[in-house]
Amino acid sequence: MHEPVKMPYERRKALYGYGFISIWLIGTVLWFLVPLFESFCYCFMDNTLLRPDEGGMKKIWLSFAGGQWLSNFKFAFAADPYFKQYLISVLKDTALTTPMILIFSLFIAVILNQKFKGRGFARAIFFLPVIIATGPVYNIISGDIAATGADSGAQFSTLFETDIVDKLLEFLGVMNINAQLTDVINSVVTNIFGLVWSSGIQILIFLAALQNIPVSAKEAASMEGATAWEYFWKITLPYVSPMILANFIYTIIDSFTKTNNAVMARVLEKQLGWDFAQAAAMAWSYFAIVMIVVGIIVMLMNRYVFYEVD
Amino acid sequence: MKKKTALPVQETPVTPAPAASERAQVPDSAIPVVHEEHVIGDGMSKKEAMQKRMQNMTRSEINALRRKQAMEACWPVFRFLILFGLGFVILTPLLFMISYGFRDNADMHDPTIIWIPRHLTLRIMKETMKAMGMMQSKNNPIINTLVLNVGCSICQVITCAITGYGFARFQFKGKKLLFGIVILMILVPTQIISIPLNSTFRHFLFDHFNLIDSMLAMYLPALTANGIRSGLMIFIFRQFFRGLPKELEDAAYLDGCGPFGTFWKVMIPNAGSSFLTVFLFSIVWYWNDYYVASAFFTNLKTISLVLKNLDGTLNLSIFNNANANISAREKIVWLEAGCLISITPLLILYTCLQKYFTEGIERSGLVG
Repeated sequence: MHEPVKMPYERRKALYGYGFISIWLIGTVLWFLVPLFESFCYCFMDNTLLRPDEGGMKKIWLSFAGGQWLSNFKFAFAADPYFKQYLISVLKDTALTTPMILIFSLFIAVILNQKFKGRGFARAIFFLPVIIATGPVYNIISGDIAATGADSGAQFSTLFETDIVDKLLEFLGVMNINAQLTDVINSVVTNIFGLVWSSGIQILIFLAALQNIPVSAKEAASMEGATAWEYFWKITLPYVSPMILANFIYTIIDSFTKTNNAVMARVLEKQLGWDFAQAAAMAWSYFAIVMIVVGIIVMLMNRYVFYEVD
Repeated sequence: MKKKTALPVQETPVTPAPAASERAQVPDSAIPVVHEEHVIGDGMSKKEAMQKRMQNMTRSEINALRRKQAMEACWPVFRFLILFGLGFVILTPLLFMISYGFRDNADMHDPTIIWIPRHLTLRIMKETMKAMGMMQSKNNPIINTLVLNVGCSICQVITCAITGYGFARFQFKGKKLLFGIVILMILVPTQIISIPLNSTFRHFLFDHFNLIDSMLAMYLPALTANGIRSGLMIFIFRQFFRGLPKELEDAAYLDGCGPFGTFWKVMIPNAGSSFLTVFLFSIVWYWNDYYVASAFFTNLKTISLVLKNLDGTLNLSIFNNANANISAREKIVWLEAGCLISITPLLILYTCLQKYFTEGIERSGLVG
């Protein structure tokens, strides 16, 4: 008889680590990695045979010859009447609103971080979109009713859509300087509804970051006589910069699952119509484009992000 | 010994009165004179003192001071205007819902009515509830959503917490790679995953079960920490557990607790508010989820699904005619009522537990 060999503590701990994540690991392989791989494969399979409704799915690879293996992508970009158009408009929209959301939410977070009467109430209101904006309710209230077959969304949007910006720009005489610039300004102002309604979590995260700024930094700044403006650029911004990056990524991910995302709506439509291969090709090309752009931006931004070393 | 006994004898006379007399003997110049702000300069008022101080300043200093004062006076007004305006933008749709949900649809054609309806009625609410199928006992969307919501959220929070703890406190091979998968889970949209998952669930376990329209299609991923936005939750839990002091674990280990015991007896009691926050967010995300539900359910109804399709079902259920030509303007009344019905539970939850929604994220250690 020999004594049971006792495993060293470190190794035992490592095994326990595997034990803790095992549930997730099983689930991830089943519900994430395999489907991820499969849906990627679907992009290169024959769409007409990949139909679960007609006697099981036949997974036939598209032949490599003659560029046929790309036919699902070709369909998405050339033949599908909606996809390309939706994709361009959604990408444009994301590119325009994401920086706006970041700036806006940082601005609101700075305000909500100040001390004033009724701050708790103001915070409660500004976080309200967190619980509503992810659902289909947002679709109806955002005046996007035209999509569901009614034309009276106008009554909602007229509330926020006024000519005042046009008038103001005209008055200032800058109307004709740059049509695109006025377009951008115009769309921002008319889109204030979408902006406010999609920056709930971002405000929350920025606010948490603002509250983590050490008091010593604040004191040092006031000793040196920094104005609020200088304080914002020299203290606030560096401290929240990691969260700007995080919020940027969160905003992009959030835009995927927004109920009014036309591209994803088209993907779902295709999927429910059993065109799995085409749906996969659409979803993957959208995801790939966004991720490449995000990757480049994150790499560029990473240089300017200030990480506090403990 | 002598000193110790001697000292109290000396100190006993130190009572407030002698102390005051002692202090009086100290020459005045030794004590820094601390003036209240309003008596700076021989009892001048604050305004006069300021004026006197400004006499010694250069012109640019005075200007800077004035500007600062002006800013300080104006800013609260601006702040109020900004917050009020934007708060109005957020609250308007909710007020609209309440205003529209309780009015008669004929009121929509009256141009004099904007906010306050002329004919208050509960009829629209009742009709909408009927159209959304909330009156039927079978396949009731409210019950379905609640069963899905609460069950999945509980499963998901527990499994995500276990996983997050594993990532936070243990060193093992391939940890970085596995955590990379968690990040990937956050990034990849559900739409990509749900395409093949649909057929996986349709032919589950070699075609023995069809899980489409079964709640298992949502429960199975939630049970294995792969539900809606579970990547984010694992991330939050990992950050939270990393922030807890390491001594907790060591103490538990010395007391003979294994890692699982430590997690159960030491970590979970400490993570209460974090659990609640993630649970609340999970509830909200499941409640609002439309995409996953529509990918896996065709007959099973959830609140967000019926709301999304309300426009189509209205015609059939209220006017008994799929092609009924009701004006879109009037239809808004039912749609808004539907919105109101579907967000009321969330609103109640939010107003009661607002603290946990907002403070939870700050405390979870997600930031920093």
